[in-house]
Amino acid sequence: MAAPVEGFAGRLFAASTLAFVVLFVVGWLALFAADVNYVLADAYRRLPVGPEDGSLLRLALRGLVGMVGVLGQREILAALWLSLWTSSLSVVIGLLMAIPIGYAMSRYRFLTHPLAEAIIDLPIILPPVIVGLSLLVFFQSPAGKWIENSLVQFVFQRKGIVLCQLMVSASLGIRAAALTFDGIDPRLEHVAMTLGCTRAGAFFRVTLPLAVRGLVVAAILIWTRAFGLFGPLMVFVGAVRLRTEVLPTTIYLEQSVGRLEVALTVAIFMVLLAAMGLVIVRAVGLRGQK
Amino acid sequence: MIRIEGLCLSVGAFALRQVCLEVASGEYFVLLGPTGAGKTLLLECLCGLYRLDGGRLIIAGRDVTHAEPRHRQIGYLPQDYALFPHRTVRQNIAFGLRRSSASRRQLQQRVQQLMEELGIDHLADRRPARLSGGEKQRVALARALAVRPQVLLLDEPVSALDESTRDDICRLLRRLNRQLNTTVLHVCHNFAEMMSVADRAAVIADGRIIQVGTPHEILQRPANLAVAQFVQPGNLLPLAKWLVVSGRSGVQLPQLVTSAKKAQPEAAHAQRAESYPSPEASCVAQKSPRTAAVQHAHETSNGQDTWVMLRSENVRVLTNAPESLPPDMTLLPATLSEITHLGATVRLRTVAEGGVELLALLGKREYIGGNYFPGQRVFLAIAHTDIHVITQDAQLS
Repeated sequence: MAAPVEGFAGRLFAASTLAFVVLFVVGWLALFAADVNYVLADAYRRLPVGPEDGSLLRLALRGLVGMVGVLGQREILAALWLSLWTSSLSVVIGLLMAIPIGYAMSRYRFLTHPLAEAIIDLPIILPPVIVGLSLLVFFQSPAGKWIENSLVQFVFQRKGIVLCQLMVSASLGIRAAALTFDGIDPRLEHVAMTLGCTRAGAFFRVTLPLAVRGLVVAAILIWTRAFGLFGPLMVFVGAVRLRTEVLPTTIYLEQSVGRLEVALTVAIFMVLLAAMGLVIVRAVGLRGQK
Repeated sequence: MIRIEGLCLSVGAFALRQVCLEVASGEYFVLLGPTGAGKTLLLECLCGLYRLDGGRLIIAGRDVTHAEPRHRQIGYLPQDYALFPHRTVRQNIAFGLRRSSASRRQLQQRVQQLMEELGIDHLADRRPARLSGGEKQRVALARALAVRPQVLLLDEPVSALDESTRDDICRLLRRLNRQLNTTVLHVCHNFAEMMSVADRAAVIADGRIIQVGTPHEILQRPANLAVAQFVQPGNLLPLAKWLVVSGRSGVQLPQLVTSAKKAQPEAAHAQRAESYPSPEASCVAQKSPRTAAVQHAHETSNGQDTWVMLRSENVRVLTNAPESLPPDMTLLPATLSEITHLGATVRLRTVAEGGVELLALLGKREYIGGNYFPGQRVFLAIAHTDIHVITQDAQLS
């Protein structure tokens, strides 16, 4: 980016905007550091040896070993596994929905387009717990009961976790997919159609390969949102250990019984996973767009 | 080969209205018009990218009005080339050949042959992002030609290229048109480009075809004021101004393709039959029937709607009055006010008697031989046949 020659006033303006960035980032880092510190301090308290025997590095290593030990507990491993496969399945189903919906919203204009757009975006701004509550109420209705009895059971079931995650996170995927398709010139499809392709052929041979990067972003957004979902799951599938317990539920359950160090260890693990996802989004999705 | 019958299409506030056009087989046809005239929209209609509100499209004798783009046997080259960025040059060219019944080896040969013909075989494995504008243009052209289209539709194919590349590509397009006998419909807004490639051309403005003819006809005899302004003749004056010049120096007006002709058919007939007067006799000739027709046009339209056009390259600038002049030419005394060098040509701005400003465009050699300077007294030699009269309500072609 061009850096113009600036006087004192310009530098002061730049410094004040950057100060806000620092304040925000440092605030979050402080929160995260407090969590890590709590877990390490807890590990320190449990040390069988005195503090004079351990260097700072050794203490940190002991803390990390302690964290891994916490994550290795049976209930937590089960919750981790459940979180991983449900959110991964949500990604697959979410993308299968996001691609056609995103494409349609990007390429076609219809009478109720603004309304459809608003409804698609609604779950992004709604408090997630409303989704869980709405799902619960829906499955008490005749239509919902029929689905439960004749097709597939969701309420207080593992499948319900996927449904819940999907209802909340698919909107993010659809929005990302629509933005990706918006960025691909429709003229490419038009040319493909003059070269013998049908509309679908042009989509699969031209648009979809060009959208891969944006769809990876969509997938990561769905995954991170689904992976961290808590409120609606508590309402819709409950928090049954080894059955419907996912990692966010674990944090809640552990802190409610006073095992704050376990809750924080899981939280730190989730923060690291989320950070990794965002770094990948930045690296993959935004590369070449600047 | 291409027949457009009464094509109508509205897109937002813009509309193509009753467009009729016919392009012969093997012809290189240029559709010329200013930005926003509807050129690209018309081309996209031919591609099948819009459902028409009315009219018919016939390509190679087949009604394709409702045919999908893939069934129209066209090659389309959009303005920005629209190369597939995720494919190499070779893959881009081969894109349309997937459904071909030919063997894989034959298809590869076809792609190779096209690349060699267009001089891009060394770029075969490059992605479009690493190509220059001219290279992209050739790749897009090869991709369009690969499917052996009956009609090639080119949307401003050279507008984004530098001048030398533009000339190269124009020559290439003309050569391909002759070699392959493919009908070409080329859209552009540059009349120099039109002159260099077109067999015939049409001018489109505001969604209507205004004039169809040879490039020379369009440049020298624009059908109305809009076309005249678009082809930049250099000298386009309201009739009232021109009458001032002609009244003082005797420059006569030739054919009057205007409503005046309808208003006074006898006068117009006489006008066609009349021979142009010599400079000496021209003042007398102002009372002739054809001058009466001009006068009538002036009076009926109050001089507002009638314009006189004279291309600046048709004005000869003499430093001395010749002893004799052909009968179809007139001398107009003027003062040279400004000299502008335009590279290969030089534009002389002169002020004729009555304060009427006239431009002359000279070749470099002619300019050097003339020894011109600002303030110089000169004579403008104008052939009567080079003067074109236009009225606002002139018949549309």
